[in-house]
Amino acid sequence: MSPSIRNQIRELRTQREMTQQDLADRVGVTRQTIIAMEQDKYSPSLETAFKVALALGVTLEQCFQFEPRGKR
Amino acid sequence: MPSLSYREKTLYASLLAELIVYGPYFFFHQQNSVNKVAAMIVAIIVLQAVLQGLIAIFTRNRLVDERDRLIELRGYRVGYFTIATLMVVGLVLLWFHAAAGRLSIESHRMGLHFLNVFFGMLVIADIAKTAAQIVSYRRAL
Repeated sequence: MSPSIRNQIRELRTQREMTQQDLADRVGVTRQTIIAMEQDKYSPSLETAFKVALALGVTLEQCFQFEPRGKR
Repeated sequence: MPSLSYREKTLYASLLAELIVYGPYFFFHQQNSVNKVAAMIVAIIVLQAVLQGLIAIFTRNRLVDERDRLIELRGYRVGYFTIATLMVVGLVLLWFHAAAGRLSIESHRMGLHFLNVFFGMLVIADIAKTAAQIVSYRRAL
């Protein structure tokens, strides 16, 4: 079952012409973790979510949205 | 095939080493001896050291992040339940053997037999742990 937290990491990242490795380096995770987040296969911890939003220069709510299970 | 993180590469190498060393040993278990057990242990240590060393040398980014740690914990959970189940099954079988009053193994090979049984349980649990982690990397967490 995929996580119930959706994100706009890919869209925000490409708007800033940032590679996955660049974002991973800024956040302190592996590129594969960034890929998993973009594919909605992994929901990061709160700390990592804040780091991602900070690296992309947006608020947490602009980057991540919570959807109760059963809704997409 | 998507790029693999350092942790994923080590898992595949570990699984490969286990299958290469343990597979033939347990497949041909009727011909085993204490010396072959020792040789198997040495072989797995050497093969793991070589494979993990090569992966470490040829992988620039060896970062282990929160997702890797979470998947590792999942693997340990699967491994624990696997070995716990095998232990219960083994204990039940031993109880039946004890209740029946006989074991169809010569006494001089009984030690090696039980060594193989317990070692086999550890191997199966470790392979289950590794496989669970490999699957977790491909699926949603």
